[in-house]
Amino acid sequence: MKEQLEQILKAGLGEIEGAPDLRALDDVRVKFLGKTGALTQILRGMKDVAPEERREVGSLANSVREQIETAISQKLADLENAKLLADMEKEKVDITEPSKGVKRGALHPLSRFNNKFMEICVEMGFTVIQGPEVETDYYNFEALNVPKNHPARDMQDSFYITDNILMRTQTSNMQIRAMEKLKPPFKVVCPGRVYRNDSDSSHSPIFNQFEALVVDENVGLKDLMMMIKEILRRLYGENIKSRVRPSYFPFTEPSIEIDATCQMCHGKGCNLCKGTGFSEFFAAGVVNPKVLEMSGIDSKKYSGFAFGPGIDRSVMVTNKIPNIKYLFRNDLRFLKQMK
Amino acid sequence: MKVSYNWLSDFVDMKGISPEQIAEKLTVSGFEVEEVLRMNEHLHDVYVGHIDKIKKHPEADRLVVCQVDVGFKKVQIITSATNVFEGANVPVSLDGADLCNGVKIKPTNFRGVESDGMFCSGEELGIDENYFEGAGINGILILPESFKAGTKIEDALLLNDVVFDINVTPNRPDCNSVVGIAREICAMFGKTFKDFDISYKSVGGNVNDFVKVSVKTKNCPRYMAAYVKNIKLTRSPLWLRSRLFSVGIKPISTMVDITNYVLVEQGQPMHAFDYDYLDGREIVVRQARGGEKISVLNGNTYDLDESVMVIADAKKPVVIAGVIGGVNSCINDNTKQSVFECAVFDLKSVRLTAKKFGLRTDSSARYEKGVNINSPSIALKRALHLVNELGCGEIVDGVIDVCSQKLGDTQKLSLSYSKIIKILGVEISKDKMTKILNGLGIETTISGDTLSCVPPILREDLQNENDIAEEVIRIYGYDVYNNLEGGLFENSSITIGQFEPRLAMENALKNILVDNGFFETLNYSLYSATACDKLLLRADDARRNVIAISNPISEDLSTVRTVMAHALLLDISFNLSVGNKEMRFFETGRVYQPKSLPLKELPVENNRLSFAVCENGFDFFQMKKIVEDLLVGFPLKYSLRRSEEPYLHSGVSADILDESGRVIGWFGKVHKTVLKNYEIGADVFYGELDTDFLVGLPEKQYATKEVSKFPPVERDLAVVVDEKVTNEELSNGIKSACGKNFFDVQLFDIYRSSALGEGKKSMAYKIVLSSDDKTLTGDEIAAIMKKVLKGLEFRFGAKLREA
Repeated sequence: MKEQLEQILKAGLGEIEGAPDLRALDDVRVKFLGKTGALTQILRGMKDVAPEERREVGSLANSVREQIETAISQKLADLENAKLLADMEKEKVDITEPSKGVKRGALHPLSRFNNKFMEICVEMGFTVIQGPEVETDYYNFEALNVPKNHPARDMQDSFYITDNILMRTQTSNMQIRAMEKLKPPFKVVCPGRVYRNDSDSSHSPIFNQFEALVVDENVGLKDLMMMIKEILRRLYGENIKSRVRPSYFPFTEPSIEIDATCQMCHGKGCNLCKGTGFSEFFAAGVVNPKVLEMSGIDSKKYSGFAFGPGIDRSVMVTNKIPNIKYLFRNDLRFLKQMK
Repeated sequence: MKVSYNWLSDFVDMKGISPEQIAEKLTVSGFEVEEVLRMNEHLHDVYVGHIDKIKKHPEADRLVVCQVDVGFKKVQIITSATNVFEGANVPVSLDGADLCNGVKIKPTNFRGVESDGMFCSGEELGIDENYFEGAGINGILILPESFKAGTKIEDALLLNDVVFDINVTPNRPDCNSVVGIAREICAMFGKTFKDFDISYKSVGGNVNDFVKVSVKTKNCPRYMAAYVKNIKLTRSPLWLRSRLFSVGIKPISTMVDITNYVLVEQGQPMHAFDYDYLDGREIVVRQARGGEKISVLNGNTYDLDESVMVIADAKKPVVIAGVIGGVNSCINDNTKQSVFECAVFDLKSVRLTAKKFGLRTDSSARYEKGVNINSPSIALKRALHLVNELGCGEIVDGVIDVCSQKLGDTQKLSLSYSKIIKILGVEISKDKMTKILNGLGIETTISGDTLSCVPPILREDLQNENDIAEEVIRIYGYDVYNNLEGGLFENSSITIGQFEPRLAMENALKNILVDNGFFETLNYSLYSATACDKLLLRADDARRNVIAISNPISEDLSTVRTVMAHALLLDISFNLSVGNKEMRFFETGRVYQPKSLPLKELPVENNRLSFAVCENGFDFFQMKKIVEDLLVGFPLKYSLRRSEEPYLHSGVSADILDESGRVIGWFGKVHKTVLKNYEIGADVFYGELDTDFLVGLPEKQYATKEVSKFPPVERDLAVVVDEKVTNEELSNGIKSACGKNFFDVQLFDIYRSSALGEGKKSMAYKIVLSSDDKTLTGDEIAAIMKKVLKGLEFRFGAKLREA
C-alpha cells in the first residue's frame, strides 16, 4: 500500500509537471483526486488495511493528497500566468500610433508675449488697466501735448470718425485717463490695440501697444532706465544689452528710444537689425510737466516717466517670425508652430 | 532734410571733423542721420583731360583716336563722339572708373588700337544742363578752357560734397535748415558758430512806391517783401549751383536760386515774382474764391476754393501760398523787376492745401512744420545780401513788413538746477551744464540753484526744466545710462501690482479653449459694412448702426465692427482656401455699438470671446460641451433657448441666458447662406460669450455635502415619446418622480425607427438612485421605477419601450 501511494505521488507530480494547459491539468486532477481517481481508490481501500498500519498509511495518503493538491495549485498559477503573458503579448500595441482625443491648440504669440510682459509689470508693482479704443481727440492728442495743428500729428495719421472722435493712435490715452483717476504714487500699464491710417506695406493699420506710466515724487530718467533694464533682463535674461538714443514724443521730455540686443540674431547682426546687433525696443521718456498739469497732477511735487515697447516687433524677434504679416494672417500652419 | 558738409562748413570750422563723425554725433544727439551720400561716389578715376591730337581710326570709319593729356600722364582714348576737337577739355574716365550709369572702365582694344579709357557725357557724370552748360547734350561734355588738365573731375565740377539726410523731429523746426544743424554741430564739437552775412547795399528809392501789400486772411501772420530792379538773369556761380544740386534742388537762374538757397540755409521759404506780371502792382494775401483757377509750375491747373490761401495781385491768384508758384508770375528770361516774398503762413492751412492737391514741395514741407515768426526778417536780409553778392539786380530801399503777431522777444527763463538734475538722475556739474547750454546758443548762468538762461530766438521749444534737461543730456551723452548703479526703487514708492480682472478671466477662458484644441487668432476690429449683409442681419438690427471711419484706408477697413462672427468666418474661409481643412479658432476682442449716429459721445465697447469650429463630424452637442466647459467656473445658472441670431441655423443653435433672462452668449451651426457668403464649403459651428458680463460675476463659491455611506444603484429605462418631448422635460420628470432617492439621470441612447411610429423616438436613460440611510432593496427600487414610468406616462404620454 505504501509503495502504491509513493508510486501515485511520483506519477501524479510527474503528470502535473507535464500538463501543457489548464485542461490537461484538470484531467490530471480528476485522474488522481476525482471520484474514481487513483488516490480516492486507495483511500476507499483503507478499510482493508490492517488496523495497526492504518494510521501510518492514512497519514501517508493525506500527505500525498496534499502534495498533489499543492502541486496542482502551483501549476495552475503558473499556467494562468503564462496565459496572461501570452494574452498580453497578443494585445501588444504599436506605441508609435498617434494619440487619441482632441489635441491642444495654442495661444497667439502676441498673447503669450503680452502675458509675460504683464506678469513682469505686475510683479514690479504695476496695475494693469484697459480703456477705450474709440477715443476723443482730447485724450488721444490734446491732453498729451499734441494740440490741433501740431506737426506731431503727422507722425500718426489717424482714423477719424468725427472731428472730435477717432480710433486711438496710441495707448497713451490711458496715461491721461489714469492720471485723472488715480492719486500718485502709482504705476499703471495698459496693453491694447491702436489704429493708424498707414498704408505702408511694412506696417499694419491695426497693431498692439503697451504703455506703462509711473507717477511719483522724485522719479526721472535714471529710474526709467533702471526699470527698463530690469524688464529686459526678466524678458531675455542676464546677457541682454541695451543702448539709448534721443528721440521726440510730445508728451515726454526728455524723450528716448531704447534698443536692445537683437533677439533674431542675438547681437551678431542680421537683416532685421540692419547688421547693428540691436533692435528698437522701447519708446520712453520723462512725462512732460505740461501733461501732468493738464491732468490735474501737481508737477512741482510729482514727476513721472512712461515707456512702451513696440510689441509686434518684439513678438516677431522673440519668436523668430519671418514676416510681421503672419501676426494678423491667422494661417493655421503658422499658428500650429506656437504649440 | 538734406544738408551738405561743405555748406555746413560755412558756419562751422570743420578742421578735424570727418563726415562720419558728424553723422554719428548727430544721430546720438537726436538728429538721426538716415543716409550719408557722397556726391563723388561714381566719379573716382575721372579727370579733366586736354585733347592734344585727333586721328581717324585706321580700321573703323566712325571711330577716332585721341591723344589726351590728363596732367600726370598722356593717354590714348578712342571715341565715336563727334563733338570732340583738338584743344578741347573733356572729362576722361580711366581704368577703374565706375560711372553713374553703371559703366565700368577698363583699357580696351578697338580693332587693334588700345584705348586707355573713355570720354564722359554729362549723364555719365550724373549731371544735367541745369547744373553745367553742355552736360545736357547728347555727346561728350566739353569743359571750359580754364579747367586744368589733371584736375579730378569731382573738384573741377564741385561734385565733391558729402550730403547727410537727417530726420528732424517735429519739436525742432529750427533745424530744418543748414544753420540750425550747424549750430548743433558747434555744440557737439565745442566749436564757435561762424555767423553769416546779412548786410546789403540798396540803391535808394522806396519799396512802397513800387508795390503795395495787404493781408486779408488770418492764416498769414507775417508777410515781408522787397523790391529788386534792373535784373540781369544768369546762371548762378558754380559754387551755388553745387550747393543746391547737393540737396536735390535744380539750379535755374540767380534770382530763383537765391530763394532756394535761403530756403535750405535758413529754413525760410521764399518766392520771387515777376513784378511786371502783377496786376495793379500789388500783392494781396487772401483766401481764394470759388471758381478761381491757377496754373502752377508743375504744369497742372487747380480749381481753388475758400479753403486755399493764395497770394494774389489786384485781379487774380498768382501763388498757392506756401506751396507752389503760378506759372506766369514766376521769374522768367524776360524778368526785369522782381518782388521777393518772405512770409510766415499758418502750418495747418498749408498742410491742408498741400494734402488737398497732393502737392508736397520743399516750401510746403517747411511751412507744415512751422516757420518761426522771427525768421523772415533774417532770411530776407540774407537773400538781399546774395543779390548783392551775385550782382543780379539793384535793391530798392526799404522792406515791407505786414505783421499781425507780436514778434517774439527773446525769452528769459529762470529754472531750478536741482530739478534738472532730478529729472536726469545723473550728476552733472554746474560748470559742465553751463558750458553745454552756452554751446547750444542758450545763454546760461547758474547761481545757487537758479539757472537763468536765454534761448536763441528760434528755439520756442525751450520752456521748462524738462526741455533744458533734454538739451543737456543729449549733448552730455546718453551713454551715461548704460552703466547705472543703485536700487530699482531708490527714488520711487513701492506699489502693489494688480492684474486687470477681465484680462485674467479671459486668460482662463483662453486656456480652456486651447485645451479643447482651439488656436487663437488676431483680427482687425475694422471691417466693411457689408459684413452685416453677409451675416444676414435684419434691417432693424441695431448692429447695422456701424460707426464709419471718415478717412478709411480701404473699403475693407471702413467701419468699426459691431459683430464678431465676421472675423472668424473670414479666417476659416482663408484657411480653407490655402488648403487647411479642419480648424478650431477663437478670438477675444471688442464690438463697438454707438449710442447714436452720427457719433456724439463715445460708443459702448463690449468685450467678447468668439470661437468657431470647422471640422468633419463635429456637431452641436460637442459645441455645447465647449460652452459648458467655458461656463462651469462661474456662479451662473444659465439656460438655453432657441437662438435668434440671424447668421445661425435656426434649428441648431441656442442663446445662453442668465437667471434674469439676459442673453449672455450664443452658439450653434452657421446658416448655410452665410457660409455661402463667405465661400466656406464645409459646416461651421460658431459661439460667442459676453466677457464683460462674465467678469461682473462674483467668484464661484463651493458648498459641499456629505456623501452617502451606501452605494448608489443604477437602473435603465427606455420610453417612447413624441418628438416634441425634450430631454430636459423627461429628465426633470424622472428627477421629480425619484424624489429624495434621486442621485443622477443620464440620457444614453436615442432611437428612431418606423416600428416606433412616425414622429416618435425612444429615449433611454440611466437612472441612479441612492439613499442616505440604507441600501435600497429590490422592492423599493422597483416601486420607484414604477412611479417614474407612471409619471412619464401621465405627463408626456410616454410608453415603456418593449425590449
